[in-house]
Amino acid sequence: MTNDGKRGVLARLSGAKKRYGDTVALDGLDFEVRQGELLAVLGPNGAGKTTAIGLLLGLQQLDAGEVELFGRSPHDLAARRNVGVMMQEVALPDALQVRDLIGQASAYYPDPLSLEETLAQAGVEKLARRPYIKLSGGQKRQAQFALAICGRPRLIFLDEPTTGLDVTARETMWATLRRLVAGGASIVLTTHYIEEAEALADRVVVMAKGRRVAEGTVRDIRDLVVRKRIDCATELDVATIGGWPGVIAAVREGARISITATDAEGAVRRLLAADPVLTDLEVRRAGLSEAFTELTQEAAE
Amino acid sequence: MTDVALPHMPLSRVIRAYLSDAKYESLRLLRTPAFSVPILAMPILFYSFFGIMLAGRAGGSSVHFANNLFVGWTVYGVMGPGLFGFGILVAVERNMGLMTFKRALPMPTGSYLAAKLMMAFIFAVVVMALLTIVGVTIGHVDLPPATLLRVAAIMSLGVIPACAVGLFIGAWAPASSAAAIANIVYLGMAFLSGLFFPLSGVMEKIRPIWPTYHLSQLARASAGMKSEGSPLVHLAILAALTAILVLLAARKLARSG
Repeated sequence: MTNDGKRGVLARLSGAKKRYGDTVALDGLDFEVRQGELLAVLGPNGAGKTTAIGLLLGLQQLDAGEVELFGRSPHDLAARRNVGVMMQEVALPDALQVRDLIGQASAYYPDPLSLEETLAQAGVEKLARRPYIKLSGGQKRQAQFALAICGRPRLIFLDEPTTGLDVTARETMWATLRRLVAGGASIVLTTHYIEEAEALADRVVVMAKGRRVAEGTVRDIRDLVVRKRIDCATELDVATIGGWPGVIAAVREGARISITATDAEGAVRRLLAADPVLTDLEVRRAGLSEAFTELTQEAAE
Repeated sequence: MTDVALPHMPLSRVIRAYLSDAKYESLRLLRTPAFSVPILAMPILFYSFFGIMLAGRAGGSSVHFANNLFVGWTVYGVMGPGLFGFGILVAVERNMGLMTFKRALPMPTGSYLAAKLMMAFIFAVVVMALLTIVGVTIGHVDLPPATLLRVAAIMSLGVIPACAVGLFIGAWAPASSAAAIANIVYLGMAFLSGLFFPLSGVMEKIRPIWPTYHLSQLARASAGMKSEGSPLVHLAILAALTAILVLLAARKLARSG
């Protein structure tokens, strides 16, 4: 615990900038992981999620800003001995069996789980003697998950861990993640799926174009994205509508306009009052993922 | 930042990590026939075919000739594990993200390369043992057991410069062409240093630019045969070459992973 009462910070990026050639991957990202939390990092492809994790693991060098892992440089082995990781793209040695891979990875940690415990926690007991090459895509992800937890890490980075998993395997992984957090571990999980964040996260960071565009509890983010979409045919000026209370954005597409609003009812009342000949009115709840896309697009504009 | 007491990793566990990496690296390659079969079987097959059968038919069945051939083929045999174990694997693993993953894990510094070196050494010992058995049983090799052991020991260490050449290829070559490059370098160096048949003219004069030449002179010296130059000079040249290649490779790997 730090003096300000906030839970201790295990890893931090401040003002992190990183470019690859002409592409800006991170544009001044501030980001911290606190003790005992499950932090979901949401964002579309190219938002910079994987780059942020790579920097925290010392895989890349920052162009500007600072990075700390357990108060040290991520290049420090002692810091990384607290960390487990599951990367998005990795091909492990084909000829090794899952138990070999676990044996090899756990040897890097001071006090790892036993092979049996690791297999059980990751739900891969049945895969123990299977060569990696014989695993399906989802089973490979499960094996990689086993490697991420085998060292009893205090902080686990999971880059899109459930992509390609079937429902049962995903539920098993979620249950293990909840247990790990209950046991005091911190987890950083990147995902495309807002449902995954809703199911697991204590805190959510939404990223777009290399920046943090929203941060808060799952409820905060849900409130942010509980928006409605209003479509109608009208001559009204979109700039005016955009200024109405409860309206986030209004765009014209030919004869029709499209409004994103947190207060849909208020906006509809005003619309009908302002334009008696308005037609083709349609109000829908923006799906979470749709609202989320808008959120990240707004940031990009 | 929270002041977290970082776990202590006792030296014994660090050593265990190195040994475990070496074990799994060897295990995976033994289980990969595309790697282990050529490395182990090719030198034996080539030696039996070219070295023993064809040479025998050419009338060169004197003991002196047989010993010469044997020593030449041991150089060829121990180059393989180093060149391919490092050359191809490093290039491929760089490409497939394994190296990045390993760098993210708290793998002790140097364990990745130490494991490969150990693996290459184990393979070289096996190749030497097989070549020696074939040489003594059907190859008319007539050297005292102590000499054979000395040759085997020296040549198993000869895998080190081969590893350095392989590492250099693995660090710089694209994954798709590393195997081809390693093969060309392997055969090229073997022929151009006169391992298989005597060279003449310019080719003979420039033999000392190839590490295989120095390795083969060391092999001859260790077998008590006539060798050119001083073994210490050959050793120094190989050590210097190894250091330079490893440094160049390390620079590339540190930059790109």
